[in-house]
Amino acid sequence: MGPILQVEKLTKRFGGLTAVAELDFEVREGEILGMIGPNGAGKTTTFNVIAGTYPATGGEVRFAGEPILGLPPHRIASRGVMRTFQHNRPFAGLPVIDNVLVGAHTRFAASLWSVVLGSARSDEGQRRKRAEELVQFVGLGELRDADVATLSFGQGRLLEIARALAGEPRLILFDEPAAGLTPAECARLAEIIRGIAARGIAVLLIEHDMHFLLPLAQRVVVLNFGAKIADGLPDEVRAHPAVMDAYLGSHATPQ
Amino acid sequence: MRAGGFVFFKTNHMSGLLRWLIAAVVLSAAAFFMGEYHNDVYRKLLLWVTLALGYNFLFGICGQVAFSHFAFYGIGAYSIVIFLFQLHLPFPIAVLCGIALCILFALAVAIPSTRLEGFYLALATLALGQLFIVVLNEGGSVTGGTGGIANYRLPELFGMRVRGPWYTGVIVLLLVFTYSILKRLDDSWFGRACRAVRDNPEAAAAMGVDVARTKVIAFTLTSALAGVAGMVYAFVDNTVNPPIFGIENAFLLLFMVIVGGAGRHAGAVIGAVLLFLLPFWLSPLVGHHHALVFGVLVVAAILFQPGGLIGLWDRFSRSRS
Ligand SMILES: Nc1ncnc2c1ncn2[C@@H]1O[C@H](COP(=O)(O)OP(=O)(O)OP(=O)(O)O)[C@@H](O)[C@H]1O
Ligand SMILES: [Mg+2]
Repeated sequence: MGPILQVEKLTKRFGGLTAVAELDFEVREGEILGMIGPNGAGKTTTFNVIAGTYPATGGEVRFAGEPILGLPPHRIASRGVMRTFQHNRPFAGLPVIDNVLVGAHTRFAASLWSVVLGSARSDEGQRRKRAEELVQFVGLGELRDADVATLSFGQGRLLEIARALAGEPRLILFDEPAAGLTPAECARLAEIIRGIAARGIAVLLIEHDMHFLLPLAQRVVVLNFGAKIADGLPDEVRAHPAVMDAYLGSHATPQ
Repeated sequence: MRAGGFVFFKTNHMSGLLRWLIAAVVLSAAAFFMGEYHNDVYRKLLLWVTLALGYNFLFGICGQVAFSHFAFYGIGAYSIVIFLFQLHLPFPIAVLCGIALCILFALAVAIPSTRLEGFYLALATLALGQLFIVVLNEGGSVTGGTGGIANYRLPELFGMRVRGPWYTGVIVLLLVFTYSILKRLDDSWFGRACRAVRDNPEAAAAMGVDVARTKVIAFTLTSALAGVAGMVYAFVDNTVNPPIFGIENAFLLLFMVIVGGAGRHAGAVIGAVLLFLLPFWLSPLVGHHHALVFGVLVVAAILFQPGGLIGLWDRFSRSRS
């Protein structure tokens, strides 16, 4: 299948620091592309530039064939690129289900006028049902109306995923979703991510932990100091000398 | 959506419109059983509740710290009086012009300041509030200077002049109208977007919320509602003068929302009722020092009960069940 996301010569500098350097890769429709690299390799920065949070210093990003660099984050989201954050960022004043409904923000059809006038049939009920399904899907069904402050760390990770899915993305960006999860939670998460890909949603998955990533990803891109040092099938990447070097002394070692 | 939302009656099966109608009739009917003095107090109370509901949407739900709510209340009040009795515009045109003026000022303040940090909105609205008072005081014959404008009457509409307890009914309609708009907004994608912007703007943007636009709309809408309330206020005493629209009242409004429970309609109502009535009970005891009691209440709410009185009520009813 063709590429849904094409990243070409993407560069991001913070003052004198080059966080992302001339990065090239693409995500194909329906695939899980893994992205690994040691701390500070520029993985999150890559996400932030793709999602429009940071302006790029140079390069090009195309989503579904159209350039998206320079668009504000909400426009990129409405085109179908949704993300999770490396550190949970729930909306603390909203219950679980409403957090997920915010994720569906761009999918509501009723205009503000029709809301104020109470005129047009609202799609609120239908959206709420969808959101409930997603809450079920990630396994937070019992906690639908819970205060997000009462969620465990792992449940917070799952909420991030449900919220991103609610935007009906064509591409979803996961920033270390497994970080801090127990082995049992990791196993469930892997199932959820496979389920998402099975729905035809392309997944770009940042992960520190190769044990988690390699069985899950169809292809892997390896970053170090902002530059791509290797890419290919999981087994190729695992055996790549540059990857072994980059990970030496780092806490996640390839098996 | 949220438990304990402010409902007049628990009538899920009753159609929305009927519910509003009953609420309006009950609240209005009360005015016919009061003497003139209590009716006056009741009207001011209803106006404070209306303002607190609007300000709660801006501050409590959307998280914007603004001090211009009373300036917009004043722009509404002064503009209707000036448009009607100095420019002699027809009543509906005067109302529309007044609303347009509020919207214009609101956009002029919100568009530049919401692109910056929240602090700048506070600053800009504080400046607007002060500037408005200066303009009123220096406005010569147009605004009537420090003495304001008096000696006008509500024009006849459809051959009738609404007065006495009937005018209280108009204020009740204003309250119900304001609340129904705010409630609908709050229960929609827009209200959720406002709360998301308040809680975490960066995550909200990643979810597709246009943060600046959401803030501008919330600010403009609530400011316009304050303007409409001001138009109604202009015919309560048939006089408008500067002190009412000053910064002190803008702060009092903020206190009401904080003490009642920011972000909750019921909280705004409770806060407005309590802080409006408190001086009546306190002044025999402490004279004009009731501001001190308010200060203590606000600090106590911020330190010990950030959910306000409505949050306290929630905890109480949860522990009983
Ligand atoms: N907003 C910023 N301003 C300045 N420097 C930044 C900013 N964000 C990231 N950096 C720097 O860019 C580099 C890449 O950081 P990034 O967060 O992208 O790494 P990462 O691969 O996600 O690392 P980790 O595995 O620790 O999450 C780091 O040196 C970081 O300090
Ligand atoms: Mg990172």
